[in-house]
Amino acid sequence: MMSQLRLSFLLPLLAFTALASVGAVALYATLSGSRDPAQLPSVLVNKSAPRTSLANLMPNDAGDNMVQLTAFKGQPLLVNFFASWCAPCRAEAPALEMLSKRVAILGIAYKDRGEDTNSFLEQYGNPFRAVGMDTDGRMGIEWGVYGVPETYLLDANGVVKLRHAGPLTRGVIDATIIPALEALGS
Amino acid sequence: MITELGHFALITAFVLSLVQGFLPLIGAARGNAAMMLIAPAAAISVMLAVAFSFGALVWGFITSDFSLALVANHSHSTKPMIYKISGTWGNHEGSLLLWILILAIYGGALALGGRAMPMALKARILAVQGLVSTGFLAFSLFTSNPFLRLGTAPLDGKGLNPILQDPGLAIHPPMLYLGYVGLSMAFAFAVAALISGEVDRLWAKWMRPWIMAAWCALTCGIALGSWWAYYELGWGGWWFWDPVENASLMPWLAATALLHSAIVVEKRGQLKSWTVLLAIMAFSLSLVGTFIVRSGLLTSVHSFASDPARGVFVLVILLFAVGIPLALYAWRGPQLVTTADFSLTSREGGLIANNMLLVVATAIVLLGTFYPLGLEMVTGARITVGPPYFDATFNPVMALLMMIMAIGPVMAWRHGKTARLRVVLITAAVGAGITAGLTSAFAVGFSIGALVALGLIGWLGAGIGADIWQQLKPHGGAGIARRARRVPTEVIGMWLAHFGIVIFMLGAVGDNLYNSEQVVRAKPGDVIQIADRNVTFTGVKQVQGPNYQALAAQLEYRDQSGKLFALLTPEKRIYNAERQTTTEAAIRPTLRGDDYAVLGDGDNKIGFTLRLYYKPLVSWIWGGAVIMALGGLLAAFGRQRTAANQTSPVTNSTTAMPASGRGA
Repeated sequence: MMSQLRLSFLLPLLAFTALASVGAVALYATLSGSRDPAQLPSVLVNKSAPRTSLANLMPNDAGDNMVQLTAFKGQPLLVNFFASWCAPCRAEAPALEMLSKRVAILGIAYKDRGEDTNSFLEQYGNPFRAVGMDTDGRMGIEWGVYGVPETYLLDANGVVKLRHAGPLTRGVIDATIIPALEALGS
Repeated sequence: MITELGHFALITAFVLSLVQGFLPLIGAARGNAAMMLIAPAAAISVMLAVAFSFGALVWGFITSDFSLALVANHSHSTKPMIYKISGTWGNHEGSLLLWILILAIYGGALALGGRAMPMALKARILAVQGLVSTGFLAFSLFTSNPFLRLGTAPLDGKGLNPILQDPGLAIHPPMLYLGYVGLSMAFAFAVAALISGEVDRLWAKWMRPWIMAAWCALTCGIALGSWWAYYELGWGGWWFWDPVENASLMPWLAATALLHSAIVVEKRGQLKSWTVLLAIMAFSLSLVGTFIVRSGLLTSVHSFASDPARGVFVLVILLFAVGIPLALYAWRGPQLVTTADFSLTSREGGLIANNMLLVVATAIVLLGTFYPLGLEMVTGARITVGPPYFDATFNPVMALLMMIMAIGPVMAWRHGKTARLRVVLITAAVGAGITAGLTSAFAVGFSIGALVALGLIGWLGAGIGADIWQQLKPHGGAGIARRARRVPTEVIGMWLAHFGIVIFMLGAVGDNLYNSEQVVRAKPGDVIQIADRNVTFTGVKQVQGPNYQALAAQLEYRDQSGKLFALLTPEKRIYNAERQTTTEAAIRPTLRGDDYAVLGDGDNKIGFTLRLYYKPLVSWIWGGAVIMALGGLLAAFGRQRTAANQTSPVTNSTTAMPASGRGA
C-alpha cells in the first residue's frame, strides 16, 4: 500500500540532511586545511581596549585586589579570555606557556568560579602575569568576546592590534601572533 | 601468525556480514525461507569470526608483540597486565574492533534467541544488523586496520596515555559500547518495521528487553565515565558538559524516551511511528557519540584518538546509516499512524509529556554540542558552550520531567483520573513543601535553583513512596506480602529506576550546596581545617610504581576529638615511558561524603600546593545511577504479568489494559 508523503514525516530527513551538510563542510574545511580559526573582524582593532578593572584571582601576588589593564601599559600585552570549563582552553595551555616567555599575558577568567580557575591553572600551568575574574561576563561583553578562548594583542599604548577567536595553536602563533609582535618591535 | 589469522578472520567477517546484510532481505521480500534462514547462521558466524579476530589482537597486547604497529604505539612491556589488556581498546583501531565485536555479539544473541519471532521479522532485523556491521568492518579494514605490521619491530612500546591507565577506564569503554551498540538492536527493529510497513504490539514487546539492556549498560557506562573524571582528572567535578560527555548523554536521553514510548506501543498499540523514529534517533546519536569525537571536529578533554581523515569514512557511514532509515521513515511512516484514543490526562499523556521533554533535552544538548561547529562554519568564530548554557536550559527541562515522573505512573491508561492519582499528588506536594520549607527555614543563602531542586527531591520521593504504599497497603483481604507478590516486576523496576533519580539528585544537590574546598600551600607539619576535620600534612614520600615514579603527600585526617580516622596519600606521578605527569587524587569515599585530596606543585622549602575537598553525598550520584540501571534490569527481564493479555498481537486494541495494568 502506497501512502503519500507527508511533510511531518519528511522533517527528520531534512533536519538530518542539514546537520550532515554542516558536518561535511566542516570536515572538508578541516581536511583541506582551510579551517583555521579565522581572524574575526573586531570593532576594537586599532582602538583603545575597553577600560578594564577586575577582581584579582591571586591578590597576594600583585599586592592589590584589582587587576588594572592600565598597569600593563608601556609594553605589548596579550589578553586571553579563558575559563576552566572550556575544553579548547585546556588545549591551548601549552601554546600560552610558550608565548609567555616572549610577551606579558593577562588572563581574564570568563564566567568562572575562583576555585575552578585556580584548579585549572594548577593543572594546566599558569602563563599569566595576573588573572582577573570576569565572573558575570560583563567584561566579555565590553570586549565583544564571542566565546572562550579568545585572545587580543595590545600595543604599548593599550591599542588593540589583533584579535584571535579560538584556541591558539602553533600554526596560529607562527602565522599571526609572532608577526604582529614583531611589528610592535617585540 | 595469530595476528595474520586475526586479520583473515576480520576479512571473513566482512564477507559474511555482506551476506547477512543482503540475502535475508531479498528472502524476506520474496518469502523465501531458505534465504531468510541464512540470517541467523551468518550472524553467528560473524560473531565467531569477530571474536577470534578480537582475541588475536588482545593476544598481541598480552604478549607485547611490538611487531604490531598498534601494540608498539600503545603498549609497553613494563605495563601491568590489566592495562596491557585494556590497552587493546585504549586506541582508535582497537576500540573500533571492540565496537564491532559487541555489535556481532548482539546479532549472535538475537540469532540464537528470539525463537518466537516471525521468520521474516527476525531475518530483516538481522539483515539490518549485518548492514551496520558491514559498514564498520569496512571502516576497520580499509582505514583503521588493527593488524598492521611494522617492518622492524621496536625494542619497546611507546606506552599508553598514563591518564588511561586506570581500572575504571579499563571497563568504561566496554560498558559504554554495550549501551551504544545495544541501541543498534532497537534501530534494526525499527528499520525492519519500516521495510515491512508493519508495527504491532508484539514487535514492541520483543524490542523492549533490548532497549532496556542497552539503556542499563549506557547508564552504567556514563556513570563510570563521570566517576573516572571525578577521581582521575583531579578536579573534584563529576560532569563537565564536555562534547564527549554530551555525546554519551544524547543517546541516553533518546533511549530513555524510547523505552517509555515503547511501553505505549506494547500496551496500547499507539505512538508507533514516533517510537520507530526515536529508535532511529537513539542509535544515530550513539553513532555520532562514538565517532564524531574521533573525527577531530570537536575538541574535548576525553578524546584520545582523533584523526580528521577518518572523519570522511565516519560521515559516509552516518549518511547511509541515518539517511536511508529516515528516507524510509518519510515514505513508510505515515502508514503507522493510529488515531489517538486517549485523553491528555492519561498514562499515555504522561508518557508523551515524558517523551517531549526528553527530546527537548536531547535537542538542547545537541545544540550546545554542535552550535559551536555550525557557528564556526558560518562566521569562522570558534567558541565553546559551557555550563552556563546548560544550567539555564537543560536543568529546567529536567525539573519538569521530575514533576511528571511522580504522577505519570499513577495515571490510568486512556482516561487518567484515579483516586490514587489524587493521593499521590497530595503526598508529593506535601513532600515538596516540607523539604523546600525546611531548607528555607534552617539554611541561609540558598539560591532559588537549590530550593527548587530540594523541593523536587521531596516531590518525587514522596510521590514514589505514596504510589508504593497504595500498591502494597492491605486491601480487599490481601495483606502487604500478598499484594507485593502481585506487583509485576516491571513496576518494581520502575519504582527502583525512578527512585535512583531521587538518590542521584540528593548526591548532586548535596555536593553542589555543601561542598567545601581548601586550596593551601602547606609545609610539613601544617594543619589544615576543612569541614569538621583537621588534616595534618606530615610531608611527602617518594614512591616507585611499576612504570612510574611518584611523590605522595601524607595527609592525616582527624575528627574533632583528635582521633585519626584516615590517611590520604594523593600522588603526583611521572610515567617513565611516556614522560608524562598525572595527578592522582586520594579519595576516601563514604556514604556521608567524600574526603578528596590533590597534591599540586611545590617543594619542602616553599611548601606544596594542596587542594582538599569535603564533598557530602557525592557518591550518591553514581549510586543513584546504579540503582536506575538495576531498576531497568528488573523491568527488562523480570517476570511478565498477565502474559496472555500481552501476547495477543492486537494492532489497534479496543480491549485496553485494566486501570491497574501498569508498565515500567
